[in-house]
Amino acid sequence: MEEKNQAALDIREEFAAKVKADNRKEKLMKWAPVGVLAALILVFCILKGRSFLSLSNLVSILNQWSLPLLVALGLTFVIMIGSIDLSIDGTVGMVGSLTAIFVANSKNTVNLGVLGLLLAILCSVVVGFLIGVIHVKFKIPSFMVSFAFMNICIGIGMLSYSGKPATIRDPLMTAIPKASFLGVPVITWIAIAVLVLCYYIQEYTPFGRHVYAVGTDETIPKAVGINVNKVKIKVFTLAGFCYGVAGVIGALRLGQGQIAIGTDQMFPAQAAVVIGGTALTGGKGGVMNTVVGTLIMTVLINGLTMMGVDPNIKTGIQGVIILAAVILTIKHGSAVISK
Amino acid sequence: MSKNILFSAKNIVKSFHGTQALKEVDLDVYEGEVVGLVGENGAGKSTLMKIIIGVQPQGSGEMYLRGKPFQPHDPLEANAEGIGMVYQEQSLITTLSVGQNLFFGHEKEFMQMGIVNWKKMYAEAAAVLSEVGCEDINPRKKVIDLNFATRQMVEIAKVVNVTKEASTDGKCLILLDEPTSVLNETEVKRLFQEIRKLTAKGHSVIFVSHRLDEVLEISDRIYVYKDGENAGNMNVADATEAILYERMVGHETNSEYYHLDKQVIPKEEVVLEAKDLGCRGKFKHVNFQLHKGEILGFCGVVGSGKEEICSVFCGDESPDFGELIVKGRKTKYSAPYQALNDGILMIPMERMVEGVIRGLSVEDNIALSNAGRLSKRGMISRKRVSEQAVEWIRRLRIKTSGKEELVIQLSGGNQQKVVFARVLASESDVVILNHPTRGVDVGAKEEIYGLIRDMVAEGKSVILLGDTLDECIGMSNRVLIMRDGLVTGELDAAVDAKPSQVSIISMMV
Amino acid sequence: MNKLKTNKAYFATYFSMAVIICLVLIFTIMEKSFINSSNINNLLSDTAPLMIMAAGMTPVILIGSIDLSVGAMCSVSNVLVVSFIMKFKDTIYADWFIMLVTFVTTLVFAVIAGIILGLIHVKLKVPSFIASLAFMSIWNSAALLISNSPISIPKKLWGTIDWYKISIGPLGYPLVIAFLIIIGYYVILTRTSLGRGIYAIGANERAARMSGIAVDRIKITVFAVNGFCAALGAIFLMAKAKSCAPTVGDSFTLMVISAVVLGGTALIGGSGNILNTILGVFIVSIIKNGMNIVSINVYWQKVVFGVVVLIAIAINTDRSSRSFIVK
Repeated sequence: MEEKNQAALDIREEFAAKVKADNRKEKLMKWAPVGVLAALILVFCILKGRSFLSLSNLVSILNQWSLPLLVALGLTFVIMIGSIDLSIDGTVGMVGSLTAIFVANSKNTVNLGVLGLLLAILCSVVVGFLIGVIHVKFKIPSFMVSFAFMNICIGIGMLSYSGKPATIRDPLMTAIPKASFLGVPVITWIAIAVLVLCYYIQEYTPFGRHVYAVGTDETIPKAVGINVNKVKIKVFTLAGFCYGVAGVIGALRLGQGQIAIGTDQMFPAQAAVVIGGTALTGGKGGVMNTVVGTLIMTVLINGLTMMGVDPNIKTGIQGVIILAAVILTIKHGSAVISK
Repeated sequence: MSKNILFSAKNIVKSFHGTQALKEVDLDVYEGEVVGLVGENGAGKSTLMKIIIGVQPQGSGEMYLRGKPFQPHDPLEANAEGIGMVYQEQSLITTLSVGQNLFFGHEKEFMQMGIVNWKKMYAEAAAVLSEVGCEDINPRKKVIDLNFATRQMVEIAKVVNVTKEASTDGKCLILLDEPTSVLNETEVKRLFQEIRKLTAKGHSVIFVSHRLDEVLEISDRIYVYKDGENAGNMNVADATEAILYERMVGHETNSEYYHLDKQVIPKEEVVLEAKDLGCRGKFKHVNFQLHKGEILGFCGVVGSGKEEICSVFCGDESPDFGELIVKGRKTKYSAPYQALNDGILMIPMERMVEGVIRGLSVEDNIALSNAGRLSKRGMISRKRVSEQAVEWIRRLRIKTSGKEELVIQLSGGNQQKVVFARVLASESDVVILNHPTRGVDVGAKEEIYGLIRDMVAEGKSVILLGDTLDECIGMSNRVLIMRDGLVTGELDAAVDAKPSQVSIISMMV
Repeated sequence: MNKLKTNKAYFATYFSMAVIICLVLIFTIMEKSFINSSNINNLLSDTAPLMIMAAGMTPVILIGSIDLSVGAMCSVSNVLVVSFIMKFKDTIYADWFIMLVTFVTTLVFAVIAGIILGLIHVKLKVPSFIASLAFMSIWNSAALLISNSPISIPKKLWGTIDWYKISIGPLGYPLVIAFLIIIGYYVILTRTSLGRGIYAIGANERAARMSGIAVDRIKITVFAVNGFCAALGAIFLMAKAKSCAPTVGDSFTLMVISAVVLGGTALIGGSGNILNTILGVFIVSIIKNGMNIVSINVYWQKVVFGVVVLIAIAINTDRSSRSFIVK
């Protein structure tokens, strides 16, 4: 009896020890993103000292942070349910283009003011909703549906201004990008407002909890009677909303409505979400992780630009970062089948 | 323990793909008692549990709950009537807290002005936890930070909570499926304490486990299932491990079933050797030799390590310690195709998922492992693939409408024969049979035993993981017994000197 | 394999042919010059690069993976090969020699790139869509770094690309090569253990592995060959345009995926006939050419292809047997 228990303990102890070690590693990894951010800031301080820490650069960073933050917020929920959204470049660009022609502008006589902004955002909400529905009803992988919609949205966006971008003339709209409140640009405040909204949704609504569940293991919420399909559609719709706000802000800042507003928004957002600690497989992470992740990406790009790095390298670096982050966080072992 | 019957199942029958999993079984549970349910793998325990909780409907038979007919269509309905199940695989969401898991799906009850009042929920969670005696678990802690034993308690608390709310008289029936498989001794004791607290309050528990000593300790009455039938039920006072096992496995079947007349004496040559093989958390210090022409049987309960050893031999997993010596050479495999090159191939346990490719035809499945050998100058002739299939269909008497029929349309036994055909066609000389007769009806089983004998007569060597102890003893030349990852015994099983089941059982549990 | 003989496969083939005929009719009605010989020639020669890339992509989708970097791979190969050619600008080497050196270098580069992608996917367990997405950004970056703007090949070196104009009847040399590649693939897929392995992996990777199929090796091979095809397509594009452009491949990714799916190959893998990919390629090519002839805004083309690919996948997906979870 004694012997038997000893042997049993050994195997079970080994197993438990292994699990404990894995858990410990995970806990450590939780703080890794903050560490990376701190290290980055340190490196750039050393390399560029005065100019990096100057007030104008800091404000610049805050400004540059707004769009990626908004985009990454929407993407965070999608990744938390284990899906992906490749439509970002298109959706943001489309909304940006539409914004300019819905408000007082140089091309047409439409002047819907703030209503125009909301209308533009509604378009990306609809796109998000469609992506969710098609993904769920036709069981087409999310990467494919969103990839197809990226192209569709780029097309729609470009069609809306047919090569000649509209310049925004509405006085309120042109004033917003220049305004600040307490030293922080209004645009950043808008992004923060959406951040607070997303955090509230994540932490204080049942939907937020269900998102974690769906990402961890779909069968569990299903068994409890939760409509998993509805959760997924809501996630994509919410993401669409965030992309819409990003598009609007992009257009206001640029003063024009162009598809380029959305260009190269997706990779930094993907990298930001993954670096921040939200796993691609879903069920882990959250909005606050993305805050750290987007700060890392923004500081990185800001610093690299300061150092005069060729702008074309930027996307390449983002690709490498995404790869590195995914490789480090993904589960290994022969039992895992990835397609 | 009161005399009222809480739940009763009568004459339950259930079939899957032509095999009968349950043949008119009964089960009665009184209020406030623990009913133990034991039986070998495939005896029907899990099937019955799934029927009671509403995951599957029974083929025929009735169930009664509190005297009224009971027929759940899904687990939610069963929950609503006061029946809950704690599964072997944990169903908690690790990134959420204990409290959030307890009330998962019911968050709306705590909403105030659009916000979920977590404080209120955690207070209620604490109440629920203390109801099952777990006051010391902090409801705000994330599940991922808890050890398995505590998680198990949370699962039980969750199930009790859901069912208690629902049942009319507040008494529920909790089904526990292998709850102690990841617990150590102290944790098991703790679990038993909680179970006793539950029954003291009038709830009932069905305790399914293969750990007979634990079943004897906690149950009031015990049911034994064998091959889908009732093999007896008794009060715990009248039961011992030996009695239970005898009921579980029954008497030895006749020698013709296992074709004992064809049992061959193995040669001296060693084809496969394991030296101090170990895999962290699964098994260790495993040593043995497999001879040419030998059938080496591995006996052990689920979790003893025998399945994991097979994964190492067939190349699916690499061992953490020790050496694998194949035909005299030290080898390391990183993938099954390398083992196949050395002549080792396994028939996997999960036939449907790992053994056949359901969307492909019979002939393509048979050619999966030896397609390369059917080729001339790199081109595989479809004619040879067809001819090969036709020959094996005939030799193994596979019931199919044609070699081009998709495997998904064959019965379980015939699908297994297709897997055998594939393995035989590959001309591997070391074959690992991982529960080769699982889900196969009696007639096909006997055919498969004959097949195995023929294989060995041709000079192949076999490692056999039997579905039943009987099968293992009957088919093997030698038997290795494993328990908790270690080899606890090695017995000879020559035709005239087959060991008794009882002697092996003591080394298995 | 016996996939050919199932009813669904026959249906897919006839359906595709019907679609092609309908499209030709519609475009001809809208613009008569659609079917005159110069446009048909144009169409056929335009189709070659797409056909080659779709040939490479089909096995990738058959094993259940995807390669979103194929357009970027094409762009960077396109720019690379021309940069190499330009290095011979002031030399006196023979044309065939220049061709040999530059083409082979570019193709080898692409194969290695494919192997790396395959290794990352297979050994590091990174899902193919994310690994290929990352590589898409890396190769796009690389293309822009090598050359920010189009480079034209000077007349002196046109000897290296003259072969492009050779034709056998209405079929240009390039298209013939593309057909041969597809036929070669067909033979591999149906008559070799590599091909059987590809179908098995797509249908049930776990069972394929346990049956002794060298899954990792086959997957890496498939990605390597896909890289090769992307580069070959890029070479054809370069030869036709007599120049390179760092964004030449951008629109191809969606078109290639559309072509493969329209050819009846299911996105989850395990079923599909590469000969049908030919039909899918023609459908895409006709749509593109047709929209140009009818002067439909190039921006509409993006919308159209997005919708087309979704419809094609939706039709092809076997929803009934999908018991597993789609993410």
